[in-house]
Amino acid sequence: MSNTTVKQKRTALKVAKSSKTLNVSSGVFRVNQSITKTINPSISGKSFSSASDSKVLDKSLAQTPKHTVFDEHGQDVTPHPLYNPDPGVLQPKQGKIFPAHDTSWTTVTDFPSVAFQTTNASFTGPFTKSFFGSVSASRTSQTTESVTDETKDLLVKPDLSSSLSDVQARREEVKEQVREDIIDRVVDSYLTETETIWLLDIPAVSVSEDSEDAEAVKERNKYVERSMQTFNDAPKTKEVQSDSITMVDKAVMSSTWDMYDSFCNKGDASENIVVSAEGKKATVPDSSSMNHLLNPSGPDQSMSVFSTTSTVSGSSAHLEKMTCVLPVEEEPDLELILQSDKFKQDLAVMERVVLANIFQPKLAAYRQLPVIEDPDCVQTQIEEESWTEQSKNSLSPFLEHLWVFKCELTKGRNVSSMTWNKKNPDLLAVGYGQLDFKDQKPGLVCCWSLKNPTWPDRIFHCESGVTALDFSACNANQLAVGMYDGTIAIYNVQTTEQTPIIDSSDCANMHACPVWQLRWVDHDTGLAGEDKGEMLISVSGDGRISKWIHYKGLECVDLMKLKSPNMIVNNQRWNPKILSLAPGLCFDFHPNDSKVYLAGTEEGHIHKCSYSYNEQFLETYKAHTGPVYKVTWSPFCPDIFLSCSSDWTIYLWRQDLSKPVLGFTSGQKVVFDIMWSPHCATVFGAVREGKVEIWDLRVSSLDPTIVSVTNPGVNPTALLFTPETDCVLVGDSEGQVTVYKLKNLPAGDSTQVEALEDVIRTTLSSKHTLGKTDRDA
Amino acid sequence: MTAEVEETIKRIQSQKGVQGIIIVNAEGIPIKSTLDNSSTVQYAGNVHQLLMKARGMVRDIDPQNDLTFLRVRSKKNEIMIAPGKEMYAFLFRIQKPKQM
Repeated sequence: MSNTTVKQKRTALKVAKSSKTLNVSSGVFRVNQSITKTINPSISGKSFSSASDSKVLDKSLAQTPKHTVFDEHGQDVTPHPLYNPDPGVLQPKQGKIFPAHDTSWTTVTDFPSVAFQTTNASFTGPFTKSFFGSVSASRTSQTTESVTDETKDLLVKPDLSSSLSDVQARREEVKEQVREDIIDRVVDSYLTETETIWLLDIPAVSVSEDSEDAEAVKERNKYVERSMQTFNDAPKTKEVQSDSITMVDKAVMSSTWDMYDSFCNKGDASENIVVSAEGKKATVPDSSSMNHLLNPSGPDQSMSVFSTTSTVSGSSAHLEKMTCVLPVEEEPDLELILQSDKFKQDLAVMERVVLANIFQPKLAAYRQLPVIEDPDCVQTQIEEESWTEQSKNSLSPFLEHLWVFKCELTKGRNVSSMTWNKKNPDLLAVGYGQLDFKDQKPGLVCCWSLKNPTWPDRIFHCESGVTALDFSACNANQLAVGMYDGTIAIYNVQTTEQTPIIDSSDCANMHACPVWQLRWVDHDTGLAGEDKGEMLISVSGDGRISKWIHYKGLECVDLMKLKSPNMIVNNQRWNPKILSLAPGLCFDFHPNDSKVYLAGTEEGHIHKCSYSYNEQFLETYKAHTGPVYKVTWSPFCPDIFLSCSSDWTIYLWRQDLSKPVLGFTSGQKVVFDIMWSPHCATVFGAVREGKVEIWDLRVSSLDPTIVSVTNPGVNPTALLFTPETDCVLVGDSEGQVTVYKLKNLPAGDSTQVEALEDVIRTTLSSKHTLGKTDRDA
Repeated sequence: MTAEVEETIKRIQSQKGVQGIIIVNAEGIPIKSTLDNSSTVQYAGNVHQLLMKARGMVRDIDPQNDLTFLRVRSKKNEIMIAPGKEMYAFLFRIQKPKQM
């Protein structure tokens, strides 16, 4: 019977070359008869399972597959037939059933079919075997065996001597490859209904009753009403009980930031749960992990919490694993906390806040904000008295002591230089180092923040005393430090590392004598070539002014050698070949014209030099009789500069005059440092042994306007004006940097440039007249 | 590193008017304190709740915001709380008259 049905199928196939699928979707067929399986890759829902049983390969269908298959992207992945047999040739081997081949056809498109087949193989085993046995007659014995083998394992590929062998081999290959590749692949299977298959279509013919043939037709169609009764098998009840589905209610109070947090941390894999599982409604163990913050006790309790959720969580197993691991990792390590950087930061914030409380009035005064009195504290008598004292003197200008930067580290050290950070006006770098030849000790650079006057933010220990400092303007975190032994180091103040980014100790050309001044100069105005950008320029006691380039290490190029000019000794010219270099102590670049700079030497000469000439000075100013400690251009008047020296004098010069315009002396004390005020053109500050002086040329050019005497034994050695507020910093030989506020200085609305020029003009004219009178007299 | 932290704590402690400093971990358990045990526990528990509330409030209004510092001034003293990620420190000060 099966044979006949097979043949029938075949004929049917031959006739209907329109290649409809021949999946027979009746259950009866499935069990007993041959079930054709077409090559056509489309699957019908029910028919698919039937197709998974024994199949007949329909070659003719292979030629014209009407059904196309599209994958998820809409591309046409209809498998092309590997073998296109001639349509007219009978396919004797057609009766062979190659479930494996069928799988090869279908695996290209329908992966689940393989699964079906593999799963159903065992199921249909007995049936197919019996079937195969019955169909064996229609096949060669060879193939029968092979087929049975195939049904057993579906993987054995017989070597067939048919013309199909190549095709089969190919198909097998395809099947092999595909199998391995796609074993793990998730494939979408689309189950669609095939078109209706007409197996037998005999359209009804209707004949009207009045026609001649009516009787004949009636005769032919003898309809007998007959009833049938189906057998009703005995019913059997079967009960199934499923596992009880435990339901757990979960509720989370989620706030806005809960949701924001979980949204932000959605991408993380495992840290997610520890970090921000609050409010993660999707994952089940959310309440447990949310509570880990509030959960006060240790692992035990949290373990129990997790265990309850793990029974409930239907989500992936790894999630459960995660929650079980959590209690172990969660225990915060005290040491870790204490050591974490975040903690340090927080502590630092705390410290600053406390200090802000303490120092608030002073800081407010510094920043020119109104001083807020603490409403809760009680003012004592003493305080009031001191206030009234100061208010008495409030008419005359004075320096109000605000606070002192000091700590035990800096005790006993001499402040040699101070500089503000160019970018952060609250950051001050102070260098500590002895200026004398004796008592040299290792130097120190401290970066103080205004917000914390009791402890510096950064401390760098240097090998030898620090004599010069400057912050870079381009890279505001680079601090150049010049030392007593001639080394120049560049530190990065962003880190607390003690080692500099680079230092010049490897450079062959390094300075042999103390570096007395350093400056980062921005040269990009007017210079061509490779000199653009910021460069570090230093002057040192070996008489050289050098430019340092950071290129694989600090390299230096000499800008100028400070030769001592020809000295006329006893009316003889000093032998020019034995020109020695005068130690340079200071230099200053012109604020507007960065090519011109002044350099002061130990001999008391001030040379005006140009960047482009390294041999000759443009001009020399001789007036000082002692080493010139500082020379500075006026920030407002382009022609004026000040110089101070150890011969107790400060001179005001004009660029074009070789003699100073004004000289300032007050007492016979060495002047260590001077600086123009950045706010007012006529004000400058000077630091002498034992005194801090603020001169205001509008008021008087003979006496300093403000004199502040320091403690006996302590010499102020460095002076710095603040760029924004009217405060002055004074560093002294005890390692303290005191901040003073300038009070009651006559303030002008403009920078008083004209005032300065007036003063100078009057002085010059008076001198001129004096000179005249002298000559006359 | 711990030495630095210890030093900072010492420095803060030595400032005028600071009565005590307590370091608390994220769950509200004090890990370090310069006060006696009972007051530490008392402070820690109370402040923890306040901190959670304050932080929740700040973040509710704008989730990208976060609490950086909290100060509670009272008649007799002032409590300063610096919240961190896994811990927070708070400081307990007494305002002595004119000795701030």
